[in-house]
Amino acid sequence: MPDLTAVAPPPHAADHNTSMWVDEQIWGHRLWDSQSPWMIFLEFLNVAEARLRGGRLLDEGEGFVSLVYRPYRRMALRNLLFNNEAITRISEDHRDSNEAWTQWLSWMSDNVKGVTDLERDYSFLKNRFASFNEFAMLIGMLRGSAVESASNKRWTSKFVFPFGPSALYVDLNISAATGKAGREYINFGRTGELLYMMLWRSNQGEKLKPHLETLLKGDNAWNQLVKLLQPGTDDGDLDAPGRSCYLPYASHTCFDKLGEDWLNILELNLPGFDALPHLVTLSAFHIMLYKLTVASDWCNLRRPHMICEVVAPKKTIVRELSIGNHTENDMLSRRAINAYIDAIENSSEWRTAAAEHGAFQKCSEILEQRVLWGQDYDGPNDPQALINDFRELAQKRHSQHVANVHRIYGKGAGLVSKRGTNKLRYAPTDGLLKTLLYANVGKRMEFGEFLALMYERYGLIVGDLEVEKVLAKEEFDKKAFQANARRLEQRLGSLGLLKRLSDGCAYVENPHRRKVA
Amino acid sequence: MYDERVLSSATRAGVEPISFEHPRYEDILRCFTDEPRRSVILTGTAGDGKTNLARKVWCAIQSNSTESFEAPYQKVTFSSGNGKTRTIHVIKDLSEIAPQGTGRWDPAREEILQLFCRSIFEEDSTELFLIAANDGQLIESWRKLEETDVVLRTRELLETLLVEDRQEDTGAHLSLFNLSRGSSAEMFDLALAAFLAHEGWDVCKALGSSEYSFFGPSCPIRHNYELLQTALLQQRLRSLFELCDLNGVHVALRDILLLLSNAVLGHSGVRERLMTPKDVGQIIKDRTVAKASIYNNIFGGNLTESRRESLDLFDYLNRFRIGFETSNKIDDILIFGSADERLSPFFDEHLRADRFYGADESYFAAQREYIEGSDEEGAAASSFLEMLVSQRRGLFFKIPNSESEELAFWKLTVFNYAGEYLERVVKVIENGSKVERPILFRLVRGLNRVFTGMLVNSERELYLATSLSYSNAKVSRMLEEYISVPPRLGERVEIISGHDGIPRISVELAPGIECHLQLNLTRYEFLSRVAEGALPSSFSKECYEDLLAFKTQILTKLDERRTLQDPEEVSALNFKLLELDDYGNPSIKSVEVLDA
Repeated sequence: MPDLTAVAPPPHAADHNTSMWVDEQIWGHRLWDSQSPWMIFLEFLNVAEARLRGGRLLDEGEGFVSLVYRPYRRMALRNLLFNNEAITRISEDHRDSNEAWTQWLSWMSDNVKGVTDLERDYSFLKNRFASFNEFAMLIGMLRGSAVESASNKRWTSKFVFPFGPSALYVDLNISAATGKAGREYINFGRTGELLYMMLWRSNQGEKLKPHLETLLKGDNAWNQLVKLLQPGTDDGDLDAPGRSCYLPYASHTCFDKLGEDWLNILELNLPGFDALPHLVTLSAFHIMLYKLTVASDWCNLRRPHMICEVVAPKKTIVRELSIGNHTENDMLSRRAINAYIDAIENSSEWRTAAAEHGAFQKCSEILEQRVLWGQDYDGPNDPQALINDFRELAQKRHSQHVANVHRIYGKGAGLVSKRGTNKLRYAPTDGLLKTLLYANVGKRMEFGEFLALMYERYGLIVGDLEVEKVLAKEEFDKKAFQANARRLEQRLGSLGLLKRLSDGCAYVENPHRRKVA
Repeated sequence: MYDERVLSSATRAGVEPISFEHPRYEDILRCFTDEPRRSVILTGTAGDGKTNLARKVWCAIQSNSTESFEAPYQKVTFSSGNGKTRTIHVIKDLSEIAPQGTGRWDPAREEILQLFCRSIFEEDSTELFLIAANDGQLIESWRKLEETDVVLRTRELLETLLVEDRQEDTGAHLSLFNLSRGSSAEMFDLALAAFLAHEGWDVCKALGSSEYSFFGPSCPIRHNYELLQTALLQQRLRSLFELCDLNGVHVALRDILLLLSNAVLGHSGVRERLMTPKDVGQIIKDRTVAKASIYNNIFGGNLTESRRESLDLFDYLNRFRIGFETSNKIDDILIFGSADERLSPFFDEHLRADRFYGADESYFAAQREYIEGSDEEGAAASSFLEMLVSQRRGLFFKIPNSESEELAFWKLTVFNYAGEYLERVVKVIENGSKVERPILFRLVRGLNRVFTGMLVNSERELYLATSLSYSNAKVSRMLEEYISVPPRLGERVEIISGHDGIPRISVELAPGIECHLQLNLTRYEFLSRVAEGALPSSFSKECYEDLLAFKTQILTKLDERRTLQDPEEVSALNFKLLELDDYGNPSIKSVEVLDA
């Protein structure tokens, strides 16, 4: 069980609009399963940008302070980029630039949504571009670079690539009734806020700060362009501060590893925005690890491991074991919920209350205080029935969202997949392998050492020496895992990340090795 | 130990083992005899001849003694002239004294290695070492030593020498000879000469007199032996080894010897698939001489599939896909050549004239069946297709250089540009000359197509383009910069020589700011094919990834150049977009945005 002295108490019931406080107390408020890795990252950037603007980037003071921030809305920009289907047609139909501008400005003023009256007028753009055609082309390119541009989300939930602060804004939805844009928590479900808190509470905060500042300064042509597409100043465009997110642990090895990996990637000084996809992958991957690790802590189990199949053409014993291992890990968080409720039921507080006169009332109070639940309970007035009902509801609620995080974030990070089979298992993609290698290998590392490190650091198992540490000899076939490791070696070789010296010796190499200071 | 097995087999058979001086022998000996003296590590993969070489060095060092070379660790003390007594410690195979698996070092043996580590960092040490070990063992054994400062320092040194393919490093009195980094082609020359010159052949020649006898006029072993002496076959076979070297694939000496014996003795119809003198008479009577084709044996065609696959050598050679790749012209000759008057001279010369492995009765029968028969999927067709494989392999070794223009025999391999690569790139650079412009331009065109993801035809500038968000996007239209290929203002792109004998593409952005890409055979073929507009989908993804990583490196260097040069005054935003016309000629569209 985690060290409860380093855990923040639940907030006041009125702070959050939740039906109970269980998942939240174990993992935080909240791990949101339908938030994609990129959306987690974008939400994070919005928080970080707002805190940098306020001069407090990764500097939230001591203790469990609330995280309150005011992100941008940028409705004028979003209309321009994503609610502007006429632009291509107008550009093609009109040779004459002036005519095209006139047509388009009139179309826009009729069709923009969720903006202030001031923002309705886009005529300022006319002076900024040599021709309507060039303007339309740049808009097309920006639109093409949008995050998850292939998805069919509604236009108010589409995001331009995060070139810099001028390209950051939160998820909004336009109310059909009022026509006004309001905050939406589907794509930005606070996991990005948790990511920010994790990095702040990691032991790498100070070192990450300068890198994040560079990232958020947006000192590049694209950010400038996006800025020039917007009218006036930024000040009036801020969203109201939302309710604070909640991360229970003051520190955690998972936060530290996340921070270290981010730092390693940022220190590679990759050109342009090439570091971003790696940060996105690492975020989803580490949050998934955090979820599993915390769950196993609550269950008093040893650190979870993940048996990875390096995809083989045929079914192998490694695949079988990986499928079983995935299923087992997938159940971990449900067991953690039980353990959490067991802890309440076994507490002396609960037992005393249950034995006293007016037991039901007292036990209800305990639940209301500790898990913010009980007001709607209408079962028998019996403590046992009460907690049974609560347990059932807590599991049901857990299975709707938080339980999926392992699977969905695992997929998002490129670890969990059904490739070549109909069951889920751990089968890392080339992208994930590349990211992990970049984050862990300085210049080069002997292949066996790399496998050992992947296990020590993340619990990822590929080779026979690692699986030996978690399974009994009769449970696995050494040769199958050796072949698995050989396949990884070939894969890394084909990605240009491995140098084979001879049959007995290979080195993984980081082509973007850190510059020696 | 293989070396010992060879010696004992030779004694048992009463013949001399095949033997020749290893090209590194003199260099190694000099480490112990010439000042400044230094220790030696002999490394390489299994079958490179480490033990054999160590034994010869050992014999040379202590010429006045008859100490055998049996014990895993031996030492000899001698006076080195200037009044100094030195000891040479020889570990003929590190794996014999190093702990295996999870075991630990024996303290006495560990001390020997600790002594080694100390001695190589000492000036003029009296302790010298000769250690033979394969590279995996080397790293593994060192990892298990107690981690003293010198052990860590030595481990770092060994890793650097191994990974960076170097022989020496300043500050350490050690030479590391990695036999796996030597030229396989060079070893092939030596092995072939020693193999052909072996005294045993003279004995064979004396035996063969009658039609059906071993080494008689129809004996396939004799014919193969004679073919192996022809300059053309030797040259083609050597090219294959050279190309393996140029692709970073090392063929061990043991495998070269294996190839030679399989080439001469292979036959798919006999026991063990290798002929003995006793088999010869029957083979001739049964008319199965064609199954002993040296052309097929070179690729392990006589062996079972599983045996062939278990041998690295045949894996390497079959990567050329000789026998399976072809051109229309060559297949026309093979299938219709006997009846077509344009093609028949070639057919007669290369197939009809070859009474051993050319077109025999069974070939003509199968050919007729194939052309006239209705049964396309049937056994007859498939047996003819098998014969074609064998004949294509034959043609690869038969087409003389004088017909290379017309018959383009490199099309019989997966590397269509291999001949050009050897003759007009590798050799030219070895001679210190410059590669002709059209070839350089073609490679640049290939790079441009990979870097932009568009069918660019430009070849005088190297285009560095990115997409908005990701520099390695499949299609990159945002022009960052272009680099002049002919030298201009410190910029240039050229092909230069690499320390390992493999050429490099060098991109120079400014004096002192440059990036190199090893231009191995596969990359040469890949870029050439991309430049010519066709790329079979089977072509490796590895190349593409390597080239994208190269682009990233150049982009990083570009940043470096930008920070060195004075930043320009930027008054307006300017975006440079790469656009192509219908002929693939790029133009740059500049889009300006004003802060108005």
